[in-house]
Amino acid sequence: MNDLLRGEMVHLTADNPDVMAVQLFRWNQDTEWFRFLDTDPPRLFSEKKVKEFQEKELEKESSNELFFHIHTLEDDSLIGFVGLFDLFKHHGDSLVAIALGERDYWGKGYGTDAMKIMLRYAFYELNLRKVGLIVFEYNSRAIRSYEKIGFIPEGRIRGAILREGRRWDWLFMGLLREEWMGNQASRIGV
Amino acid sequence: MMEQHLLHGTIVRLAIDEPEVMAEAMVRWGGDSEYLRLLDAEPPNQLSEKKFTEIFQKDQEKEPPAFYFFAIRTLVDDRLVGCAGLDGDAFPNGDAFVGIGIGDREFWGKGYGSDAMKVILRFAFQELNLRRISLDTFEYNPRAIRSYEKVGFVHEGRARKFLLREGRRWDMLFMGILREEWLARSG
Repeated sequence: MNDLLRGEMVHLTADNPDVMAVQLFRWNQDTEWFRFLDTDPPRLFSEKKVKEFQEKELEKESSNELFFHIHTLEDDSLIGFVGLFDLFKHHGDSLVAIALGERDYWGKGYGTDAMKIMLRYAFYELNLRKVGLIVFEYNSRAIRSYEKIGFIPEGRIRGAILREGRRWDWLFMGLLREEWMGNQASRIGV
Repeated sequence: MMEQHLLHGTIVRLAIDEPEVMAEAMVRWGGDSEYLRLLDAEPPNQLSEKKFTEIFQKDQEKEPPAFYFFAIRTLVDDRLVGCAGLDGDAFPNGDAFVGIGIGDREFWGKGYGSDAMKVILRFAFQELNLRRISLDTFEYNPRAIRSYEKVGFVHEGRARKFLLREGRRWDMLFMGILREEWLARSG
């Protein structure tokens, strides 16, 4: 048994709602980040409102959602979150979402590392059969990262988003357990 | 492709009843303490009909079901003869405990329990996608042990001298069936 939630650059943990609320409030001001993550128009909630929302989320104790906070290994900074949602236990599948709120950590492998930890958890601890995700067509950095990890495009919802005066697709990508295991095996030269 | 009567067997079906109906049956069957002593390690006659009703009402509100509880009814005349259930948080390891009791003495030793067990195993493996089913039973219940063996359960161990009843000690037997074993049996 090893430390499942520790990667090469980050580790996954849980922060108190007030700690996360402070960062979320800051990150929400970055509307490019917000529009990569969410279909809702950016709304500037107060820090207090964000904290209330975080606390309510924790109280829900939903059995089909599981979110972690991403901390760097080098200095334990909180840089984003990653989690599973729409988890169907009987079917063994789930969606995954990831967001790095700290812009300085974009494009350096932190997101990819966090996603790999999340997938190890999903496949090796939760024993899921499939993990899927939805990413927006204009989020090329994310799409590249997901493809590198092994996610396979499964379809698109055409023109689901209307932003900056044009239509953009939702991309569905998916990763089956055996595909991910195969990737792991080839990586260690098996 | 999708079975219309997933919860139907050959001579019984698994059903759900109103909490009051199940509670009345539980108390009636519980009046036969031989039944209770075959079924349960707890000393007999602890719960009132009102208490059973409350329990069943609360169970129906659990979401997703923390456990599955079914009434066993005969196919031929819809008679309520027993109950069966799957218990335990089967996620993420895919294992659940099964419990079954034919409360009506008239229906012992005639295949009703085995048939109900087959239905519940099919539900567990084909719908809930579980990997194994566990059960425990008592050394002094050979009828049940034979039924479980017939259905495919494998002996896995015993808790020695677990029970103290009628002035002597009895083992508790652990049995289990794996998904692949069940698949091989059902063809």
